[in-house]
Amino acid sequence: MIIQLLNGLQLAMLLFLLSVGLSVVFGLMRFVNLAHGTLFMLGAFVGLSTVEATGSFWLALAAGTLAAAVAGGLLYLGLLRRLQPAGPLKQVLVTFGLIFIGLEVARLVWGDYAERLPGPASLAGATEIFGVYYPTYRLFVIALGLAVAALLHFGLERTRLGAVIRAGVDDRTMTAALGIDIDRVFFAVFVVGCALAGLAGVVAGPVLSVYAGMDMGVLILALVVVVIGGPGSLKGAFAGALLVGMAETFGQVWLPEVAGMLLYGLMAAVLVLRPQGLLPAGPRA
Amino acid sequence: MTPPASHSRHAVALLLAVLAVGYWLASGYYGKELVAETAITAILAMSLSLLVGQAGLVSLGHAAYFGIGAYALAGFGQKLGWPPALAMAAAVAVGALLALVVGWVAVRLAGVFFIMITLAVGEMIHAWFLKDRSFGGVGGMSGVPRLDLSGIGVDLADPAQFALFALAVALLVYLLLDRLVLSPFGQTLRAIHQNEERARALGCPVGRYKLAAFVVAGAVAALAGTLAAQRSAFVSPELMTWTLSGEILIVVIVGGSGSLLGVSAAAALWIGLRHQLSTMTDHWMLAMGVIFVVLVLVAGDGIDGALRGLWRRIAARRAARRAA
Amino acid sequence: MTAPALAAEGLQKSFGALEATRSVTLAVPAGGRHAIIGPNGAGKTTLFNLLSGALMPDAGRVLLGGTDVTRDGPDGRARRGLARSFQRNSLFPEMTVAAALMTASAIADGGAAAFWRRFDRDPARADAAAAIAARVGLADQLGALSGNLAYGAQRQLEIGLALATRPSVLLLDEPTAGMSPEETRAMLALLAGLPRTITILVIEHDMDVVFDLAERVTVLDYGAVLLEGTPADIRTSDVVRRRYLGERTQ
Repeated sequence: MIIQLLNGLQLAMLLFLLSVGLSVVFGLMRFVNLAHGTLFMLGAFVGLSTVEATGSFWLALAAGTLAAAVAGGLLYLGLLRRLQPAGPLKQVLVTFGLIFIGLEVARLVWGDYAERLPGPASLAGATEIFGVYYPTYRLFVIALGLAVAALLHFGLERTRLGAVIRAGVDDRTMTAALGIDIDRVFFAVFVVGCALAGLAGVVAGPVLSVYAGMDMGVLILALVVVVIGGPGSLKGAFAGALLVGMAETFGQVWLPEVAGMLLYGLMAAVLVLRPQGLLPAGPRA
Repeated sequence: MTPPASHSRHAVALLLAVLAVGYWLASGYYGKELVAETAITAILAMSLSLLVGQAGLVSLGHAAYFGIGAYALAGFGQKLGWPPALAMAAAVAVGALLALVVGWVAVRLAGVFFIMITLAVGEMIHAWFLKDRSFGGVGGMSGVPRLDLSGIGVDLADPAQFALFALAVALLVYLLLDRLVLSPFGQTLRAIHQNEERARALGCPVGRYKLAAFVVAGAVAALAGTLAAQRSAFVSPELMTWTLSGEILIVVIVGGSGSLLGVSAAAALWIGLRHQLSTMTDHWMLAMGVIFVVLVLVAGDGIDGALRGLWRRIAARRAARRAA
Repeated sequence: MTAPALAAEGLQKSFGALEATRSVTLAVPAGGRHAIIGPNGAGKTTLFNLLSGALMPDAGRVLLGGTDVTRDGPDGRARRGLARSFQRNSLFPEMTVAAALMTASAIADGGAAAFWRRFDRDPARADAAAAIAARVGLADQLGALSGNLAYGAQRQLEIGLALATRPSVLLLDEPTAGMSPEETRAMLALLAGLPRTITILVIEHDMDVVFDLAERVTVLDYGAVLLEGTPADIRTSDVVRRRYLGERTQ
């Protein structure tokens, strides 16, 4: 039971890293980057290659994060920004096309076989917690997720940039009218979101296996997180990730036959009862 | 956008059918397979065209209804041993039912959210059949029965005859959907697409109309799925992947989203192109992704719109010459 | 004894700390011509949205011909005979005038029987649409795309769409907004010519329009009813003069 809880928490933290970028970008720019899972996969593959070349997991962590950030930045400057006037629908469809490209490029560069990214030696083995032995690396994943959540929370609530982002989510034209260069804020947020997806990819490497096509499954979960949590909000992404992570983990254990439906049921219930999501961003009363 | 007069549309439909039959006559075994595949793809694309082109609902999970139709036929026809005709009808009903359950939630959402939900649910259904053992999991299941048309002298086990049968079904679906598009129902969908708030203020229960469109599209996609399962006598989760949903959306965009004949022509073009690409490389999906991105970047009215634009230009030039 | 065609009872609506509508009560008898005026920010638009169903009130009721429709959305109220025009033109830009008017009447008919009839081959509906186009002064523009019409013509189509649903109550949101003096005069003639089978409630900025058209006027101020009376009452009221007319003539 405790093990399952920890497993759920671990998956939730991975999902949080992945979906927080999607969610805040949606809140700011009203579109969702369907190639976000592809950046996750890119992070994992670049991490894998880095480990194979240098043997250092920590270097891999940095490289995978950086690669996703750079790819995201290029994607934004090269495609998405130009499509801004055409509206969110075109932006979303373009990123859907990029999934195909990303998948085939990954197959061309890294081949068709699944591989496991070795975790850092320092985090090998298990640690006793709440009376059970649990893999140390997975505890690290949980801690990392919590740390990033805390950092983002601090950044959003306490810094000037954070205030601008919150204002942008609430009222974009108003923020632009205040003389803030909203486009640069969009760019920064988008790139940070992509970097976090890459980070999640590397971190997930030792837990899930790395293969071309690993992006779709996590993308779907991340989309569900965004829909359930309410787009645009950090707390929503966190709550949604917890809910989806737990539902997915316990569903697979207790009701493996209907685990997929459980997720749909959860999403349907939230959307019917609270169409705006659990903890949506928006004007604070 | 007002569709051209019925007789000219039906003439084009007939022309497309004649072209397909001509190709069928001239080609060998593989060409006949392509005709069957084109007909099935055209049906699937026409069903999505109703959603995208008329109602403005961009679904990225349409393959799920195609796949569920195929699996339902396998389930009823093979596992339960129902007569194939009954199993086929039941499979179409299952497609409609699934669309009803998914649509009930999805049509409450607009734009980007609708895309996210349809993609997510489509992949959930796909994932379910990947894991599910009773239908063979990843490997799928063979031995799906075919419709018995020996009463009218047609043997559907013969791929050549099956291709013609699929073509006939596609023509029937065209006539049916064409009628629907021209009905007050279709007109109301276009009204919702153009201005949802106004349609609601005029008394339109917008959600119910969108749901109805979603269910019709799901049922027709399931019908296409039953044909696909009969063609190969085989079902697998491949039938419901997101890549197929993407392919169909490309076909619909290329064909000019709202035009049933445009998307049918685009289906033929796409099947031909994919066949060429896949014989050349294992990585044909890369080309597909590039086509997809470029299409979205430049997409105007698709094939149908381009032809009509050409026609307008010719007509304008003629008028100018006459005036001169 | 007949119930008023449209009635509001103690309507209340707040946005956060802002009380946009404060216990507004009004009743328009069948065939009546009623206007709502008030300075900017008086809560006219909020009240309009509460009446049309675009907003749900925090408290109070909306009645159509004596039936409580408070819980119905905009479409449900429209099916009960309430039609509205929009302050900013809200049309079907890619439809011709004829198609848009036919669409509005088809939507009003609703029903599943509509599945198998042909929309484009319905002479009765086309005739009805042409009659409405003539009524709103668009008889010679039936074939023009709604989105390509001149602004004034779009305002006329705005009214035409509402009329095409054969309403019993018509809510008009600043029908002459943005119009030139001539266009305003034409619009006034159009509205004055509407049959008494239609009850009209109009929100207006233009005092001439209000005094010309309405039999009863409600003055809103800070979300509450300041005064209700005949146009003559309003014209001579000191309170209104100070709060509203005075402001405008300064």
